[in-house]
Amino acid sequence: MQHVRGRLIVAVAGFGGLLLAALVAAPLLGTTSISLMRVFDRSIPFADNADAQIFFVARLPRILAAALVGGSLALAGAIFQALLRNPLATPDTLGVSSGAALGAMLAISFHFDFAIAGLSSVSLSSLAGSIGALAIVYMLATARRRGLSTTVLLLAGVTMTAFFSALTLAVQYMTDFADTFRTVRWLMGALDVGSFTPILAALPLIAIACVMVATLPRPLDLISLGADAAAARGVDVQRAERLALISASLVTGAAVSISGPVAFVGLVVPHIVRLVVGSDHRLVLPASALFGATFLIGCDLIARTLFAPIELPVGIVTAVIGGPFFLWLLVRRT
Amino acid sequence: MLHAVEVSFAYRDGGPTVVDGVSLAIERGELVGLLGPNGSGKTTILKLMGGILRPRQGSVAFEGRRLADWPRREAARKIAYVPQETHAPFDFSVMEIVLMGRFPHLGSFALEGPEDLAVAQRALDATGMSAFAARLFHTLSGGEKQRVVIASALAQDPELLLLDEPTASLDVGHQLEVQQLLSRLNAGGRVAMVLSTHDLNLAASLCRRLILIRDGRVLASGPTADVLTPANVRALYDVEADVHMHERAGHLTVTPIART
Amino acid sequence: MKRLLLILAAACIALGAAADPVPRRVVSLIPAATEMIFAMGAGSRLIAVSSYDKFPPEATKLPKVGALLDPDTERILSMRPDLVIVYGTQTELRRGLDRAGIAYYTYEHRAMPDIMATIRSIGARIGYAAQANALAASMEQALAGVRTAVAGKRRPRTLLVFERDRSSLQNIYASGGYGFLADLLDAAGGDNVFSDLKQQSVQASTEMILARRPDVIIELRYGQSANDSNPSRDLRAWDAIGSVPAVKARQIHVLVGDEFVVPGPRIVDAARRLSQVLHPEAQTR
Repeated sequence: MQHVRGRLIVAVAGFGGLLLAALVAAPLLGTTSISLMRVFDRSIPFADNADAQIFFVARLPRILAAALVGGSLALAGAIFQALLRNPLATPDTLGVSSGAALGAMLAISFHFDFAIAGLSSVSLSSLAGSIGALAIVYMLATARRRGLSTTVLLLAGVTMTAFFSALTLAVQYMTDFADTFRTVRWLMGALDVGSFTPILAALPLIAIACVMVATLPRPLDLISLGADAAAARGVDVQRAERLALISASLVTGAAVSISGPVAFVGLVVPHIVRLVVGSDHRLVLPASALFGATFLIGCDLIARTLFAPIELPVGIVTAVIGGPFFLWLLVRRT
Repeated sequence: MLHAVEVSFAYRDGGPTVVDGVSLAIERGELVGLLGPNGSGKTTILKLMGGILRPRQGSVAFEGRRLADWPRREAARKIAYVPQETHAPFDFSVMEIVLMGRFPHLGSFALEGPEDLAVAQRALDATGMSAFAARLFHTLSGGEKQRVVIASALAQDPELLLLDEPTASLDVGHQLEVQQLLSRLNAGGRVAMVLSTHDLNLAASLCRRLILIRDGRVLASGPTADVLTPANVRALYDVEADVHMHERAGHLTVTPIART
Repeated sequence: MKRLLLILAAACIALGAAADPVPRRVVSLIPAATEMIFAMGAGSRLIAVSSYDKFPPEATKLPKVGALLDPDTERILSMRPDLVIVYGTQTELRRGLDRAGIAYYTYEHRAMPDIMATIRSIGARIGYAAQANALAASMEQALAGVRTAVAGKRRPRTLLVFERDRSSLQNIYASGGYGFLADLLDAAGGDNVFSDLKQQSVQASTEMILARRPDVIIELRYGQSANDSNPSRDLRAWDAIGSVPAVKARQIHVLVGDEFVVPGPRIVDAARRLSQVLHPEAQTR
């Protein structure tokens, strides 16, 4: 077995390089052909330069959003899978996504019209919804004296998901057809953010979450084999589990506030990554973040070019790719 | 080495007292059995001894210092714990599982170096599992998994090994294997062991000292020959049993006769 | 002889019963149909309307019995109508009406020409054929007038937006090449930037709008979205794609009103308002 250090360097370099290539190539690809010369031609005022606007307003924010959202969801998926000791866990398992959906739905249906610092009310409401869901699940799971019980966590999460989904349906039923459609559309994921503001707004949250995650990879390895065994090996299990829950939920909430929930990324990307780097979370977490970003950039590229000039919601592409792939993984394992 | 004084524990505030005023002492190099029926609190006592649980009353001290005052990783370098069952939800290899035992020495950020790999290899050798190093843990049989987890505990380089029902789910062949392994590991006198079990014959054959636990309290404690009597068996299990020295095996055996 | 007379009498009674009397108690679940009925002068025949009916003002005074997704079948039946105007997809409601023996008219919503056909058809059904035909004819004439006024003029490339997230360029829905919004735009003298897309609505990404370079952007507001707390900030969202001719020339127009989304008699007003925006110089009135 090779040294972890060597494998870590190779994994980060490899997936990092892939991401870099995607970031460079993706803005150049699309249904409209643009000339790179014109894009960077300073003599043309930006307000007149259509090619530059396509590059900097239409594509670049979209690609950066894809990278941030894909990386965040994949990282959250890997963390939840370790925390819940279940390879089928996703960022949605604990109700964070359904909380976000309820928040967005309320904003859409009741026509919230507050925009703060350029962020739409839908984004802000969805973030509030996911933080609300996290708070409820966290309180339920820590209610017992012995710290975070993952069984209670799972039950609380599943219950919250069901409850929020029911509320969402109830609101949908009572409102306008058009609003219902808008909510359904939001649930499919949309990366065409059109400006850097939502990305910049989500960055602090994602940065905080990343700082929280920094100490987690090795403890997550140990915790995945059992909380008692991990505690006996010197892991501060309570602290690690809480950090894991909060960081993964924050990063999910931030991602969903940018683009709406994007299906399958959090579930499938960690599995793909494990096929390549193994199960050590010191490799799986950074590799998932890097590959998740690349994966979603790729899916978004397909979404906006496959049926040109029509653009598909990115969630459909991730589901169509992710679903069968995941089935194949399951079949392969049994 | 390890002293528990009047330790009491309940899992919930106001819930049933699972461990009630237990005092015990473990000396260096000992091989002690915590013997008692299901639900008697043996596993809980083991976890209290390992610092996994904190007592509600009383205290556990290791090398003269309260366990609660030991920094976690420092304690883990001295005391290792082998749970009854280990399930790996991810495809960890046997070597990866064993290397996790190096965490108390490395922490969250240090990566395993050649010395850590050497320690892991020695642990695998000691448990007879070297050939399995590259195998995936979840493909192993129960007995093989148990030996790997013991190797992982050995990789912590502990002075005290706590094992929770180490042979509970094993057939008699694998039971003997693990028994002989534990005996061998303890033989050098370097690693003290405490194992919890409800299996009278395992306790009789392996452990030199027994602590009998019933309803969260210590019923009796002392050398196996002194403590493993029909009277105590009746008190522990409500079972009429015959206890005698088996010439060929070289240790006491217990034959249950009837329930009382 | 007597037997023959009896048979004749029975036949007459049967025929009399079979001949539908003109419906006098009409329930309309479709706002467009409600407007059509009022416009042809048959408003007194209506006894209940849908939850979304807002025009004309008389309609808002009538009892409301639900809409497409939630028709209040019980309430409808309790009012004892003799004709209910329903959507084609309301199969459950139709079954209920069948069981109660109540007649219904199935409304299908398609493109602009169908509006006139529907007016005539409903008119015939409720015994206002003459008035309905007159209404349809006058609408056709008015629309023809709109078309004539802009005939031969350069048709600006137009993006007709009916949905957008407030203060952002996300979730922009615009009219595609099909449907009655597309027909309206065509009648008003605009060249739909999405005319090549054979669908009613298109989710327009920023790249698509930048690539298609509309000369005019028209935003339709109706219903709840008509109330906007900060319209100027909301419009500034377009500045992010300033290279689009419509944005550069400040040719972004917001039109508020339900007439754009109710395919009924008021589409004439809708067409006129659209053509006013697209061809301000060509207005005849």
